[in-house]
Amino acid sequence: MKRDRLILSLVLALVCPLMTQCASAGKSKKAGVDLSRVGESAAVKEEKMVVKDEKVVVKAEKKAEVKAEAPVEDDLDEYAVVDVADPLERMNRVSFWCNDKMYLIVFRPISKGYEKVIPKRLRNGIYNAFENAKYPVRLGNSLLQGKFKRMGLHTEKFLLNTVGGIGGLIRVSDKFPKLAELPDEDTGKTFAKWGMGHGFYLVIPFMGPSSLRDGVGLIGDYAMNPVNWGVFWSGSHDWTAIPPSVNTLRALPGQLALYDETKRDAIDPYLAVRSGYVQFRAASVKK
Amino acid sequence: MKRRLLLTFAALTVAGVSFGASSLESAQTRLKAAVEEVLALAGRATDKPTLMKQIGPVLEKHISFDVMTRRAIGPGWREFDAAQQEQAIGLFTKLIIRSYGSRFKVGQMPEVKYQSAAEAAAGRVDVSTFTIYQGSRYSVVYRMEEAEGWHTTDVVIEGVSMVANYRSQFDPVYKKGGVSAVLAALEKSAARSE
Repeated sequence: MKRDRLILSLVLALVCPLMTQCASAGKSKKAGVDLSRVGESAAVKEEKMVVKDEKVVVKAEKKAEVKAEAPVEDDLDEYAVVDVADPLERMNRVSFWCNDKMYLIVFRPISKGYEKVIPKRLRNGIYNAFENAKYPVRLGNSLLQGKFKRMGLHTEKFLLNTVGGIGGLIRVSDKFPKLAELPDEDTGKTFAKWGMGHGFYLVIPFMGPSSLRDGVGLIGDYAMNPVNWGVFWSGSHDWTAIPPSVNTLRALPGQLALYDETKRDAIDPYLAVRSGYVQFRAASVKK
Repeated sequence: MKRRLLLTFAALTVAGVSFGASSLESAQTRLKAAVEEVLALAGRATDKPTLMKQIGPVLEKHISFDVMTRRAIGPGWREFDAAQQEQAIGLFTKLIIRSYGSRFKVGQMPEVKYQSAAEAAAGRVDVSTFTIYQGSRYSVVYRMEEAEGWHTTDVVIEGVSMVANYRSQFDPVYKKGGVSAVLAALEKSAARSE
């Protein structure tokens, strides 16, 4: 008997949340999402409603009903303000403005010219080859993060694209989901994995959004990228500037398109880019 | 007695699990239908203005713009009266539709690969996809919520939530200038994107 009671209590304890979940999904949640789950009393809400047409009246009544039936869940705090310390905001905004003008006056015409002169297929090939060449950056940072399995996958991807994709011009690895979805690695991400925070937000002249952590990380990425190795060559020649320049050029059209979209649709372009950058990096570190 | 209890428990567990499974399935089905509808439209369009004109009603059918607006503005939404709420929703809808529509180029169709769906909470499902467009691969998560059918309430591209991004922009505007400043900023942005 005692055992039965114990089982009964256990079953009830387990079943109750399940039932609540089903009921809330089917009923209160539906109402909560459909109607504004504004955390005000029905009376205040009704007073605030400037009733102009029937639709608004119905909405107000529905809100009052929901309030009476169940405690209304407030979804206005659903999203926290994504932010990062920005003590240099004034300077960053100036940098952001200068970059904006630089993109418009210098980089955009160069990017347009590049798109006009080089056919799209060749542009894609160049883009892929330079991405493929960044293999040491991915390998080194996987190692620094202790991701040994990922080191193997990056090596597999690099060999496949280099051999099967004619020096990386064709991204053959896209045909294999485990390689196609392989996350990128960089030094800023390694620092984050080691527990470092952003420090503060930075808009680097010519380059764009970054942070103290990721800005320092860029030095590591630069050094590990074979494209830049010619620059470190003693008694370096003029040709050593070509690979890094092409590397910048090949990424320009995509980056400018992304920047244009972010800017055009923004309420405050500076904040849109800052929030986007912080979210993007946070998601990248999780991978 | 013990047997009966266990049987009841098993039945209820199965019911719970199958509810979860069915909500995942229905959210995914709804999303697929929405994506197919948009892609079909983009495929049929011969020029950009036609596409932009036709895409609005389709998006309004599948996206919960009022939920998006409310959450993007945040707690300040409580201070909006009904007319101001309607105005904000209208402007935000216009902004998002233009932003979404402008990403399509006539003759270039994105390829959407569905990955997984997870129930984030009761009545909420996150559908993960990979979108391949113009040679690039993007991770896109559609946040779906059930409200008289499943609707999209947020789109997260490469970890960047559209709603969270606007929330970060509206917050200082509201704190500085209140409701009128938010509406003015929305009007300005909606006009800019034209």
